[in-house]
Amino acid sequence: MKSPITFKVAKDGIVLTLDPEANFNRIKEALRDHVNSATNFYAGADLYINIAESSFKIDQLNEIVNIARGYKDVKNIIFTSDVVKRDTVEVNNEGETYLINRTLRSGQKIKKSGNVVIIGDINPGAEVIAGGNIIVFGKIRGVVHAGASGSTEASVTALKLEPTQLRISKKIARPPEESSNKKSLKPERAFIQDGQIMVEDFEI
Amino acid sequence: MAGKSLVITSGKGGVGKTTTVANIGTALAMMDYKVCLIDADIGLRNLDVVMGLENRIVYDIVDVVEENCRLEQALIRDKRHKNLFLLPAAQTRDKTAVQPNQMESLVEDLKKEMDYVVIDSPAGIEQGFKNAIAGADFALIVTTPEVSAVRDADRIIGLLEAEGLRNPEVIINRINTDMVSRGDMMNIEDIIEILAVKLKGIVPEDNIIIVSSNRGEPVVLKENPKAGQAFKNIARRITGEEVNFISLEDNSFFTKLKKIFSFS
Repeated sequence: MKSPITFKVAKDGIVLTLDPEANFNRIKEALRDHVNSATNFYAGADLYINIAESSFKIDQLNEIVNIARGYKDVKNIIFTSDVVKRDTVEVNNEGETYLINRTLRSGQKIKKSGNVVIIGDINPGAEVIAGGNIIVFGKIRGVVHAGASGSTEASVTALKLEPTQLRISKKIARPPEESSNKKSLKPERAFIQDGQIMVEDFEI
Repeated sequence: MAGKSLVITSGKGGVGKTTTVANIGTALAMMDYKVCLIDADIGLRNLDVVMGLENRIVYDIVDVVEENCRLEQALIRDKRHKNLFLLPAAQTRDKTAVQPNQMESLVEDLKKEMDYVVIDSPAGIEQGFKNAIAGADFALIVTTPEVSAVRDADRIIGLLEAEGLRNPEVIINRINTDMVSRGDMMNIEDIIEILAVKLKGIVPEDNIIIVSSNRGEPVVLKENPKAGQAFKNIARRITGEEVNFISLEDNSFFTKLKKIFSFS
């Protein structure tokens, strides 16, 4: 069954579109689930609730707002009726991609709503948070969080995957205690399968 | 004279910044350069003790900045080398007593008189660190072969780059050859691989450093110790000379060194 709510990342915030066909209780339920699974990724962003082509009673709108307040530290909740097409992107795969052409050092933090591509390393103590995928043409030794907006489809790919901690969506993984062979690069990709973070060799 | 200023910094405390400043400064002075050391660790001054000049302090850096005295009055001439000077930190004040722009103009003034101005940075990344790097033309990071020290060095390199001090170089202090060869210590290769900066020098661990710091006699003044030789080599590299890295006795270690040297 198609989800009655969809999320897109726009330039100045996040657009939540409610399916005009869907049953109101299903919308509420889906929204509540999403709020519960979301991290603090939405902190500081505006949340646009797109109610175009839908008709809601004022009480129903109130209920939606009350649920949406559950997102941690969302700046503003705004109703809109624009059918948002331009400037918006899917969170995954074809989303807006941010390129970083240097090594991230301890204490440096990157937080982006789309995908993040890094040409360089992520050193221990550095942190990358992305709404979409994280691709590192180098070594990951710091903390990475892909699919931070709640997307379980996101993945992390690197030439060498030795993160302090790796998070995808709500899942958190730590590497095994024994350190791997330090010298060689071995491209790997981490993703969620059956509710768990899996790491597999990345075949080129 | 238009001298150069360099800051010695580390992030982590206790890795040997002050010892490094005292030794590099003394070594540069022994090579007949005119050198001024600045202790930027206001409130926790140490450099005067390590240099053995504690009992000669009348004015300090805060007096200069607050114009209680002229810069020349605050400079202490070293008891062994007439071309080596120390601008001591204040002990009774804190880091907020000096602002980065004041530091910058102070260092500019000193560079007119000196070949090298060597600034001893406090530990940490707060105001004291910002003051210390404000007037520096380039930076040397001191680290030890410990994960925590290397982590802090990495952070500092990031902060230096953000402040426009590009291409800092690293000094690895207190290498214990026995521990490295047993694999109990991070080796130089690992450290350089993470930090991705140029290696400026390697200083072996040596108990004589503690003795010489307590006596106020930098170890470079002595003929024999390897640590002293290492600091002298760093000083020569600062002046632009190409100096090979010293062999630290055991062979496996030396081959590793050669490897590092070949790619840096």
